[in-house]
Amino acid sequence: ALFAGSRLLKSYRGGHVVIRFALGGCANRPFFRIVAAHSRRARDGKYLEQLGCLDPLPNAHGERVAGLNLERLRHWLGCGAQLSRPAEKLLGRPGVGVRERGGGGGRLAAAHRRHLLAGLAGFLPLHPMTVTGAERLRRRRRAQEAAADGSPGPGEAP
Amino acid sequence: MCKMAALGAWGSAVAPARLSRVARALWAWRARRCLGQDAGAADGGKAAKPSFADEAVQNLLYKMTGLNLQKVFRPVKKELKPPKYKLMTEAQLDEATRKAIEEAKEKLIMPPVLNEREPIDDVLAEDKFLEGTESTKYVFTDLTHSIPHRERFIVVREPNGVLRKATWEERDRMIQIFFPKEGRRVIPPVIFKDEHLVTVFQQNRHEDILNMCIAQFEPDSPDYIRVHHQTYDDIEKHAKYDLLRSTRHFGGMVWYLVNKKKTDGLLIDMIHRDLLDDTTSLITLYHMVHPECQSAKEAKEEKLQGVDLIKVFVKTESQKEGYIQLALQAYEEAMATSTAS
Repeated sequence: ALFAGSRLLKSYRGGHVVIRFALGGCANRPFFRIVAAHSRRARDGKYLEQLGCLDPLPNAHGERVAGLNLERLRHWLGCGAQLSRPAEKLLGRPGVGVRERGGGGGRLAAAHRRHLLAGLAGFLPLHPMTVTGAERLRRRRRAQEAAADGSPGPGEAP
Repeated sequence: MCKMAALGAWGSAVAPARLSRVARALWAWRARRCLGQDAGAADGGKAAKPSFADEAVQNLLYKMTGLNLQKVFRPVKKELKPPKYKLMTEAQLDEATRKAIEEAKEKLIMPPVLNEREPIDDVLAEDKFLEGTESTKYVFTDLTHSIPHRERFIVVREPNGVLRKATWEERDRMIQIFFPKEGRRVIPPVIFKDEHLVTVFQQNRHEDILNMCIAQFEPDSPDYIRVHHQTYDDIEKHAKYDLLRSTRHFGGMVWYLVNKKKTDGLLIDMIHRDLLDDTTSLITLYHMVHPECQSAKEAKEEKLQGVDLIKVFVKTESQKEGYIQLALQAYEEAMATSTAS
């Protein structure tokens, strides 16, 4: 969208609203803020609204803490925001698959919602790349194990 | 040592004003839940067991708590300010005392006594193919501002792909991280462990530890109930009832003792301090909670009052009969000599 060109208001040509991770924190200590921003903005620059946060390092209890403001997220998704790739992996893929089982990383079933929004398919199903990535990882691990078993095998045999 | 200092600085100063609000919010929550349950139950009123929240029970407990203004408004460790002196007429002094009594009543609102909460284990989704992709679990919290904390969604995605609701401890921790409450820590302080509670009791700081417990835990969490029960047991073992008199914990303690039928020490203490009204209200409460016991039936038939009620109760229900009889005798002699002189 074209803004009025002024010193205070940056104007871009094209671009759309995205929900993505803005990196913060210090050296060797990342911290992501889940943010709704224009796609043409800098990654850590001015955003429209912060919708949550994600701490990628596990805490003392061995969990990675993430907070999501689901109400505002639904609002921005309703306004037509896109999701970045890691955000899709975390949240799921909107609009695909009407009644697929399994919410994405954090999305919850429609039955548990208090107010349903018409238009959203209820809950966001898992991103297909998550499934594909898991399958690829399994295959790679199996190949590694086979290679590890294969090489000492003929080595032990006389 | 620093923990002991922290007890004094924290609990009493910060706790009362905010916690009365919390207590009222919790009361409202409990009233809403209980209304639903009572509407569902077929019989109500006298047939059902009287609960902590009934008006009659609350009145009795409140009468027994006492209203010692000196103790309620005793100086709390805050920053040092020079005292303010005001010159007042008699009427103004009465007005100030009346306002002080109202404020004291607010400070004495009893925190709710609830049953222990059921553990949550609800699985929302099982995605077996996700197993092995991640090494640690993810905890997702819903940060929508307008939902009450009890209804907030907090889910955990385990490394084996299971998406489940978070346990109560995880819930409390997450809510404290994102919506911090004053006086509460993310990880409960070490002082609430059993071995350290012993030290607290030796220093006679039961009230402080109870205030800290109310600030830290939810009323239906097992830790809250455990700390409270241990405090009450210790007070009952050493007969330190006066520590909690005129505080808001007294009602809870009496309720616990009446339910466990360990009221003898309290009776003796009351008689020693010449609080006969409190003894009668204690026995009335006992009869309300245990209507099937013998003294309750006798009291209802003969409609006993005052000292007779105590005597009947002592004969049938108490274990330390001898002590109570002695105390009663001493009291009656004291009454006789005072009326005679």
